[in-house]
Amino acid sequence: MNTRVTSEKPRHSWRRLPQGFWWTLPSIVVLIALSIYPMIYSVRLAFGDLGNFTRLISDRTFGIATVQTIVLTAVALAAEFVLGLALALLVDSLSRAKSIFRAGLLVPMLLPPVVAAVAWRLIYNPQFGVLNGTLRQLGVNTSALTWTNGHNSALLSVIVVDIWEWTPFLFLLLSAGLQAIPPDPIEAARIDGAGPWRLFRDVTLPLLKPTILLALLLRAMDLVRIFDQIFILTQGGPGTATETVSLYIYRTAFRFSNFGYAAAMSFVLLAATMLFSRGLMRVMRAR
Amino acid sequence: MKTALRYIAASIALLAALAPVYWLITISLKREVDQFAYPPQWIGFAATLEHYRDAFSNASFGTYFGNSVLLAALSTLAALAAGVPAAYGLSRFEWARSWDLKIGDWILSTRMLPPIVTIVPLFLMLRQAHLLNSLIGLAIVYTGFNLPFVVWMMRGFFDEVPREVEEAAMLDGETRGGALLRIVLPLVKPGLAATAVFCLVVAWNEFLFALILTQTDSAMTLPVGIASRVTQYEIKWGAMSAAGVVAMLPVLVFASAAQKYLVRGLSLGAVKG
Repeated sequence: MNTRVTSEKPRHSWRRLPQGFWWTLPSIVVLIALSIYPMIYSVRLAFGDLGNFTRLISDRTFGIATVQTIVLTAVALAAEFVLGLALALLVDSLSRAKSIFRAGLLVPMLLPPVVAAVAWRLIYNPQFGVLNGTLRQLGVNTSALTWTNGHNSALLSVIVVDIWEWTPFLFLLLSAGLQAIPPDPIEAARIDGAGPWRLFRDVTLPLLKPTILLALLLRAMDLVRIFDQIFILTQGGPGTATETVSLYIYRTAFRFSNFGYAAAMSFVLLAATMLFSRGLMRVMRAR
Repeated sequence: MKTALRYIAASIALLAALAPVYWLITISLKREVDQFAYPPQWIGFAATLEHYRDAFSNASFGTYFGNSVLLAALSTLAALAAGVPAAYGLSRFEWARSWDLKIGDWILSTRMLPPIVTIVPLFLMLRQAHLLNSLIGLAIVYTGFNLPFVVWMMRGFFDEVPREVEEAAMLDGETRGGALLRIVLPLVKPGLAATAVFCLVVAWNEFLFALILTQTDSAMTLPVGIASRVTQYEIKWGAMSAAGVVAMLPVLVFASAAQKYLVRGLSLGAVKG
């Protein structure tokens, strides 16, 4: 903390600098060194050879990874939103033990993602996992249920883990949004004879809109870059069944040491993230 | 009747949220013969602590744990040291206020960058500086990670303290820095603590950067250590689960301490909690 400069009269050569400049300097230095400079470095890496971008177009794995990232983001986001909203409304309507439910429901999202993924490996394992074990106990033939090991079921299994882990995030933000709604408009509508569904659709939902927008935006941005859970659960496999853009960038850079190509892909991801958030904002505003 | 249904539904959700965690804990406590027994044993198994002993004495999880603690503490302190004065400046000085929105946007947008975009250049930069596989290198990166967040959170807390408080102290001969340290910071202490907790948790849970920047046994963090065991051919599930349980405990404790600020932190202060 720089007490010296602010306590004295600024010396002549520094007079032009605004008064609080020194307070922000350390942060500005760190941000330039750790985000601005790396960004410029990355631009040089990616655009130094435009072949990186032409190669992208014909790269089949990148295409598959992109499609799967989009599917995963869309499905998980929709499910997490619906479940999160339902849970928020449900817990909000309880009269007792609210805080117990609230605290318990938040646990999955607080765990280190690696630990959550390890827990799900113990659940999904087709031979000795507890999921197939329990199903067998109930008399289900589990020989075809291979979850993360199956070509067709792997992506869905990964999505289920994400839903389990991050529905709490939407639940938490939407709960806070619900609590912040003033009781008067709801009371007024009820007196006017609105039923519960109309009350929800015409009063609660519009008032909740800013919170919904923010929660979806934050969650979508994290989903697009999903890495940890997939790295532990499937490493992108079997084959390319759960390959995502982040995973493919990781492999390109750090397994195949092709840094320029990886940087080019990361710019595509960045552009997609920005476009997606813009689009989401527009859709939400239009409603 | 309707109330009962509601409680049943909420209980099912709670069960679904906690069952995987519970299962992980039981695996860490079971003897190897019971771990994958059929039918699955949810309760009433013979408990043992051998996996915890194994993980933390033989399997170098102790080192990873120490690394994670050190890393979280270092990067949190550094982010606070750089970020708190900046937040205070943004909250208090006229020029900064007029720049407020732009700086705020800038800070937020650096946080919104997908980490994979900056990781390639950061990796190459740290390699040049010979800071790969070192806790210092990773601590620097995490500081950059948490700094925008610290600035944003703390600015909100400083805004809630009226200026008159430190102006009175400065009339009494306090310097501005002294007023911040002795008058303002004590007033925002809960906010400061919550901000620190968030930084600690982020550093503790982070995986991608740690995976890429620390690959030697002596520099690995706990998540990377656990991950390196999962991708091996033969997995020691007991030791790994034990390490997982130990990795999640501090987070749960810290998060419950900062529960009041959870919403504000997770929405970067945009929604008041």
